[in-house]
Amino acid sequence: MDRKDNQSPHDGSARILVEFLEVAITSIVFLKGVYPSGAFERRRYMNLVVQRARHPDLRDYIHSAVFGLLPFIEKGLVERVAVIFFNTDNIPVERFMFKLAVNQASSSKVEDADLEFSLRSFLMKLSVSEPLTKVLSHDCRWEITGYFRSLPEASSSKTSELWIPTDTKQWQQPPLITPIKSMSSEPLCVQLYLEHPSLNEPKP
Amino acid sequence: MNLDSSRSAGSSAQKSKRSFNSSSSNRSNTTNSKKQKNTTNQKTLGAAWGSNSLSSSRSSFRNSPFSEFGSYMAEKNKKLHNQFNAQASNSSSGGSNSEFAIFRGVSIFVDGFTVPSSQELRGYMLKYGGRYENYFSRHRVTHIICSNLPNSKLKNLRSFSGGLPIVKPSWVLDSVAANKLLSWVPYQLEQLADNQPRLSAFFALKTLSISGDAFLVKHEDECTSSKGGQEEDDNSSEVGKSTEYKHQSCGGSDGNTREEVHSLIEQSSRASGCSFDVKIEDKEDESIVKDDDQTSPCARSASVGGSCLDNQDTKSLPSPVAVGSSESHSTLKDPNFVENYFKNSRLHFIGTWRNRYRKRFPNQSNGLKHVNPNPNSSAEKMTIIHVDMDCFFVSVVIRRHPELKDKPVAVCHSDSPKGTAEISSANYPARDYGVRAGLFVRDAKALCPHIVIVPYNFEAYEEVADQFYNILHKHCKTVQAVSCDEAFLDVTNLEGEDPEHLASTIRKEIFETTGCTASAGIAGNMLLARLATRNAKPEGQFHISPEKVDDYLHQLPIKALPGIGRVLEEKLKQKNVQTCGQLRIISKKDSLEKDYGAKTGEMLWNYSRGIDNRLVGMIQESKSIGAEVNWGVRFKDPKDSQSFLSSLCKEVSLRLQGCGVQGRTFTLKIKKRRKDAEEPAKYMGCGDCENLSHSLTVPVATDAVEVLQRITKQLFGVFNIDVKEIRGIGLQVSKLENADPLKQGSGKNSLKSWLKSTSASSEEQRNRTVPKKAIVDCGSLRNDSIPGRSCEEIPVITNSVGNNPSSDEPSLNSNSAPPPLSHLDFGVIGSLPPEIFSELNKIYGGKLVDFVAKSKSKGKMKEGEGLLFENLVHPDKITKEDKVKQHDDVQVMPSDEGYHNLAIPAVGLEKPDLMPSSLSQVDTSVLQQLPQELRVNIIEQLSAHRKPGFSANSSLGPSSKHTQDSLENINSENRLESTDSASNYKLWVGNPPKWVDEFSKSNCVILNVLAKMYYKSGSPGNLSSILRYTILESQHLLDVGYESWNEALDRFSEVLKQYVKLKIELDLEELYICFQLLRRFMSKSNFLLHVYDNVFPYLQASVNESYGGNLHLPFG
Repeated sequence: MDRKDNQSPHDGSARILVEFLEVAITSIVFLKGVYPSGAFERRRYMNLVVQRARHPDLRDYIHSAVFGLLPFIEKGLVERVAVIFFNTDNIPVERFMFKLAVNQASSSKVEDADLEFSLRSFLMKLSVSEPLTKVLSHDCRWEITGYFRSLPEASSSKTSELWIPTDTKQWQQPPLITPIKSMSSEPLCVQLYLEHPSLNEPKP
Repeated sequence: MNLDSSRSAGSSAQKSKRSFNSSSSNRSNTTNSKKQKNTTNQKTLGAAWGSNSLSSSRSSFRNSPFSEFGSYMAEKNKKLHNQFNAQASNSSSGGSNSEFAIFRGVSIFVDGFTVPSSQELRGYMLKYGGRYENYFSRHRVTHIICSNLPNSKLKNLRSFSGGLPIVKPSWVLDSVAANKLLSWVPYQLEQLADNQPRLSAFFALKTLSISGDAFLVKHEDECTSSKGGQEEDDNSSEVGKSTEYKHQSCGGSDGNTREEVHSLIEQSSRASGCSFDVKIEDKEDESIVKDDDQTSPCARSASVGGSCLDNQDTKSLPSPVAVGSSESHSTLKDPNFVENYFKNSRLHFIGTWRNRYRKRFPNQSNGLKHVNPNPNSSAEKMTIIHVDMDCFFVSVVIRRHPELKDKPVAVCHSDSPKGTAEISSANYPARDYGVRAGLFVRDAKALCPHIVIVPYNFEAYEEVADQFYNILHKHCKTVQAVSCDEAFLDVTNLEGEDPEHLASTIRKEIFETTGCTASAGIAGNMLLARLATRNAKPEGQFHISPEKVDDYLHQLPIKALPGIGRVLEEKLKQKNVQTCGQLRIISKKDSLEKDYGAKTGEMLWNYSRGIDNRLVGMIQESKSIGAEVNWGVRFKDPKDSQSFLSSLCKEVSLRLQGCGVQGRTFTLKIKKRRKDAEEPAKYMGCGDCENLSHSLTVPVATDAVEVLQRITKQLFGVFNIDVKEIRGIGLQVSKLENADPLKQGSGKNSLKSWLKSTSASSEEQRNRTVPKKAIVDCGSLRNDSIPGRSCEEIPVITNSVGNNPSSDEPSLNSNSAPPPLSHLDFGVIGSLPPEIFSELNKIYGGKLVDFVAKSKSKGKMKEGEGLLFENLVHPDKITKEDKVKQHDDVQVMPSDEGYHNLAIPAVGLEKPDLMPSSLSQVDTSVLQQLPQELRVNIIEQLSAHRKPGFSANSSLGPSSKHTQDSLENINSENRLESTDSASNYKLWVGNPPKWVDEFSKSNCVILNVLAKMYYKSGSPGNLSSILRYTILESQHLLDVGYESWNEALDRFSEVLKQYVKLKIELDLEELYICFQLLRRFMSKSNFLLHVYDNVFPYLQASVNESYGGNLHLPFG
């Protein structure tokens, strides 16, 4: 959420995107009620009222997770960022997927203001999309998972080492997808959709 | 706004039912029900919208699915009524009977936020036999209850309210309290009500207002405005008689008498319709004198006072205030309280004096800089004269009455028998009796029974003060004004003239000119000069030569020094310091500074030694400007306080503008009555108060009333105190910055100076507002069947000032060099008054009309969904308008203004005549260079003609061949464009996409409609919005059987599939919405069902491929 002033113009949109992800993920966690609402405080972002985690650990987790993605997003390696809620058996119950598509070839540069405007609509939509989601059990857990197009080389950066393979189980059946919001402004395209286990998913 | 919101809502909310009602033609209704969503939950939101579209679509959509919404709403309303009835019968059986049904026949609709809440109001309605409507309906609702209306609704009031009364919620409360249905008229929303004070109110207030001034002025205004004065004499004599009569009958109770005199005057003024001449005022004065007779224990002095009053100009004379029997002076009753307060405040007069002075002698501060370049060199032998008028406020008033000169006289704003007014100034004879400023009149009279109390005469003060300064400036260039009656002169540079001689010359001249005496002190610096004046008074002069300074100071009591008040005096007394000599014993500056603070310590040390380094003419820039009222402040409810605050802001803003400064920090001070404090002894005084203050700093300095009001309101909210406890309010503006004179030149000041004479000080401006108000009231007087036509003009003038600049500017521009048409802002042009528009049109040689028509039709294209149903069957008017212009462009018709003016409204009728001529002559190359929207419109038009039977006016056979040609030309071009792009979704390539052209050419109505909707939908390319419009507008068309059904199905499925292909990677949401739409309405339309069945498997496959999952479509 903190805007750095000394950013180079090139990675501006990537940084905005990462910032947005941080806010959006916090909003999702708030929306799902994993933590008591007292764990969040109201803040203003892009002129919208959003939630921000008050607990330093929670805040730090979200922040470091998405900012760890920044170099990969800039390279266009990240395909999806997921917020996965799963039960005690590590079986996902609900997944919020951010699908990113950055057209590296495109020469046109996205205007920061335009991008912010588009991203705002995600947050607005997100705040009203609770009815689309499932009720979670009390003992659920959640994690942020990044899906890469290809595995980054281990030596590419220190931050990549912070990313570990997840042990969250996958669904057996293709999930049901409920789109929440899509945005496309060349060269960046972001989509947010929900994934729920298919109805004929074998119950554990 | 309405439109936009619905559109964006539609594109973003998957489940939004709202979007289906975006065609609602009744804007206000829509916003209306939007408000309603506060009270209804999310689920009913869509329904509310449904109900609105119902009104416009009920007739035309009988067999459409929207009857669903309508019937749903009807059902819902019925249910709500039943619930209400049930509750009402419950509550009535629970105690309240039919006699309490005060709201019988009343049915309210609550709009927006109200206090009490809509639910409480509903409760009242339940209890007292009224009805409560959840949804607005002209037929069921009788009163609209709301506290505030947005501007848009105000502007479009009738369409919002349907002519129903809009009433404040307090109407309901008061009616309940009174246990009967009160008239709603006084409770009408202020925003709507005529804000002009009624004449009757004005009279009632003015008769008791602080000064009779406004009253007199008012009467005079009426005099000037009245046309027929035949009845005047009769009236006045009659009134005179009755006044006399009243006098006799009332005997001693003078307060009543006076009141009754006024009420009489009021009555007769209403009855006769014309006003009185000065005679009545004389009567009034006489009656006042008589009042005085009766009240004052000393008949002789009173009669003198009376004569003095009579001698003076009646207009400038504020008649002495009669008894304030009620709280009429307080903020409670007087709407112009703040204005009157400051008009009658001596402190205010003194406070604003300096600005006035500076305006009068603007060169003075400049001149100073020339005189004072070498202050240090001459510092050792400076000579300062301090001139001070002797008891200025008294002597000015009595200057024309030498017989009063040796009598004790005091000035006071009021001479009421209660005697709780404070004396503000007393002359020397009175001082001998111990009468001082600040004493209650009652005490003063106890000390000196024959004291004469005179009122202020601010105009005389100004006059005398001006004369005073004229004299000073004549003799000396370096003048520093301290106050209206006190100044320092630096006569150091006037060599060769004896300062004592100069001082006596000045004093003599002052006396000869003004009739008032002045004293002068002469010394080496300002401090000593001032101290010398003390010794000189009254009517003398005193010179402290440098060698006498020490002796003089030695005996001087410390409290005589400026800057030493009671507190400091006490402190020094404890140290056994009572004279300057004793103070000088403390030789160390440090110890003084340690004990009393750095500044005070230094000051003490310097002053006790007669050292004062200040230079004459060093005018201190005021650090803050403000206004404070702590007399007569009594509020009944928050509304009073708000209106008081806003007038206080006006006052402060005037002062800021008067000083030419703007401020950034705003401090609101409030005097709050202490809990245990009793009503103060001083009438309407503030008594024992807590002083509270809050301040706020804004980034940009301002002097604008609106900003001040907003800030003040905010600050006031911070206090959060009971307004009844407030005894005083002050607003102070600090962190002053000079208002940019350049800016000001084009700003309000110049406007003001247009209207008012340039010399008008803020004081004068205020005075002026009073007659103006009076005149406005005369305007409303007319409503009371009293002629007063001529006075109406003045408010009109003020209005026209606002208009002038805006209407002048464009015409000025065009006179010099009209900007190219393309630079004109349509919004501006469109809202011009017709006269100006026609003038502009002339300047542009008639092209302006085209321009406007063009822009208008463009605008309509974007937002004209309301007409769309019609449009579907008949080629719409909008298109026609475009067409008309088109012809001109294409055929280079001689542009004829009259033709245009006629043609635009008449196109609807002339359609058949226009078509053939144009079609035969359309030049495709021209067509292609047209803006896309226009071109498409023409093509649409042409395609409509190509198919006989489609539209009502398609009897235009001959030109169809040309049409086809031109179409094909266009299409071929589009094809060229698209050849290079991917073949996968070739139907979606181009702008407009290829399928649009293809569909509009098609024989199948459904496809035609789809193509058409592409343009209606506005946001280009989004299939979801096209689908939405299609379903919304023309759903019944979709199932009309055609031989080309299968073809249409195939084509549309193909378009959809390609759309899926196009969007699957980047915009899943859009596809989701499209298929939601299809799915939702496939039960209604076989066509859609088939399309859905055709494409859905393909969609799922695509989604699976890209996202590894299946799209989840919960609806249906």
